[in-house]
Amino acid sequence: MSSSDRPFSARPIASSTAERVAKIVEAAERAASAVIDDAEAQARLYLQEAQAEADRRVAQRLASLNDLSDSLIAQADAIRRQSDRLLASLEEEGAATPPPPPPVQPQPSAPESAPAEAPPAPRLSAVEAPAPVAEPPVAPAPEPVAAPPEPEPARAKEEAGDDQPSPAAARLLATQMAVSGASREEIEKRLRTGFGIEDTAAILDAILGPEG
Amino acid sequence: MSAGLDSGVLGLEAARELDERYLMRTYRRAPVDFVRGEGALLWDAEGNEYLDFLSGLSVSSVGHCHPAVVAAVREQAERLLHVSNLFYTEPMARLARRLSESSLGGRVFFANSGTEANECAIKIARKHAHRRGVEAPEIVSFEGDFHGRSYGALAATPAMARNEALGPMLPGFRAVPFDDAEALRAAVGPSTAAVLIEPIQGEAGVNPLSEEALLAARQACDEVGALLILDEVQTGVGRTGSLWAYQQTPVRPDLITSAKALGGGLPIGACIAGPEAAEVLEPGDHGSTFAGAPLAAAAAEAVLDVVDDPALLRRVRELGTQLRQELAGIPAVAETRGRGLMIGLTLAPGIDAAAVGADLLRRGLVVNVPAPDRLRLLPPLVVEPSQVERAVGLIREAL
Repeated sequence: MSSSDRPFSARPIASSTAERVAKIVEAAERAASAVIDDAEAQARLYLQEAQAEADRRVAQRLASLNDLSDSLIAQADAIRRQSDRLLASLEEEGAATPPPPPPVQPQPSAPESAPAEAPPAPRLSAVEAPAPVAEPPVAPAPEPVAAPPEPEPARAKEEAGDDQPSPAAARLLATQMAVSGASREEIEKRLRTGFGIEDTAAILDAILGPEG
Repeated sequence: MSAGLDSGVLGLEAARELDERYLMRTYRRAPVDFVRGEGALLWDAEGNEYLDFLSGLSVSSVGHCHPAVVAAVREQAERLLHVSNLFYTEPMARLARRLSESSLGGRVFFANSGTEANECAIKIARKHAHRRGVEAPEIVSFEGDFHGRSYGALAATPAMARNEALGPMLPGFRAVPFDDAEALRAAVGPSTAAVLIEPIQGEAGVNPLSEEALLAARQACDEVGALLILDEVQTGVGRTGSLWAYQQTPVRPDLITSAKALGGGLPIGACIAGPEAAEVLEPGDHGSTFAGAPLAAAAAEAVLDVVDDPALLRRVRELGTQLRQELAGIPAVAETRGRGLMIGLTLAPGIDAAAVGADLLRRGLVVNVPAPDRLRLLPPLVVEPSQVERAVGLIREAL
């Protein structure tokens, strides 16, 4: 190889080596860049998926929390309604005048002496003698006994005006049965058989809500 | 090792020998040595299987060894057994809330048995009456009622209160003929502290009280300011198809007492008061060392988890109706009474109920004989329809 050739021939070699190195570097850079891009794309994908999953789970939780809240509210509401009705029934009873003392047979030395004046305030006066049940089978025709004590105005109105004066005892029975989980049909049957109430709808609707 | 650790090893004869040598002679036991139970089934030391229609006198209402009760007892036993009522314990507090909210809405006093629960109710009634100015308060009950065997409860249990060998009895108790509304009205006066009655008499052979008598009791109490106490020791905790028997009546009492099934096999009693009666007792008036202890309270919570379920209670009502109908079809059965799975049978004249009960035990059915002509059936509330069929078949065969 002549010295004049060397530069001539060395230059292309060097240049081609440099070009190749540059190409290799460039390719490597491209590859690296592609890997980085890939990785970034994959990471973005993972992030997106994770985000979507998180969103989905949050939405699911929220939905079930909403359902739970609705159900709790509904249950609380049902309990409140039942309690209100029970309280109303008891209060109504408490406000009512106690029914007239039953026609007890003459008692020789009965210690009971003071039904007339200031009986102790009835506390849980949960009952009144219901029409059909309270009619005692007392035997020898006791004349219609002293007229019942003058009814309070509100009560008189209720007794006179209502189409069906559902006895408080029947209402209490129905309320207690409802609270204890009896079905509408079971309560209806008891009202019919126990109290002779033919049209039970008013009581049942008041306690259980209208039949849907 | 103590022989008592495994009664299965002892066997009936050895258990009977120990019993006769060391136990007071207060019971006449049937010749069976039960060693295991599951649901409505029992097994004796010889491996014989029995269908249990007595439930340990209405105690094992959720069946023998109900998994939920066993788990609750096991868990609580590993955590805390007893600290006394000088401190707060959570199972008792939770149970009290549950009992109050499921019934009269007031307060609860815990005891260890139905008798003790009734003692508490009697104490409340007397103190309540003294506040009204009554000097010698009286408690009125029905003939045939059973309220317990300690002296207060015994005095309210007319049949046993007449045992002069145990006298003198506590004064201030009066009995009127069972289910006699007029007699009850007449007996209740200004000195009446309470009417203490069972909505369905249990020990007397399952006698449901009429609505007329219940209404009369409520009305009479209201008129004089006395308390109406319903002893729900046997009828409560789902036995009649509602959590409390009074819930199927037109009457709301001032106090109810509970025990038996409440603990699922562990001893616990409760006196549950409505708002007014709840405020009568004050610190120092009453107490009990063991009452409401964590173990029994945890068991009771588990029992209520099982029983306070509308589906189960409906099933109790339906199975009870089915059982009574089928029993009523047996010619030797003169009458069936009861509500839910608390059922009494009166046998036709001339049939010895004790002999029938013994025969049924030999055939593998456990029942109770509360009177010479009566059988009492108290199956677990979780009894299967097929087991009800089996029991009816065995009774039919025995009769």
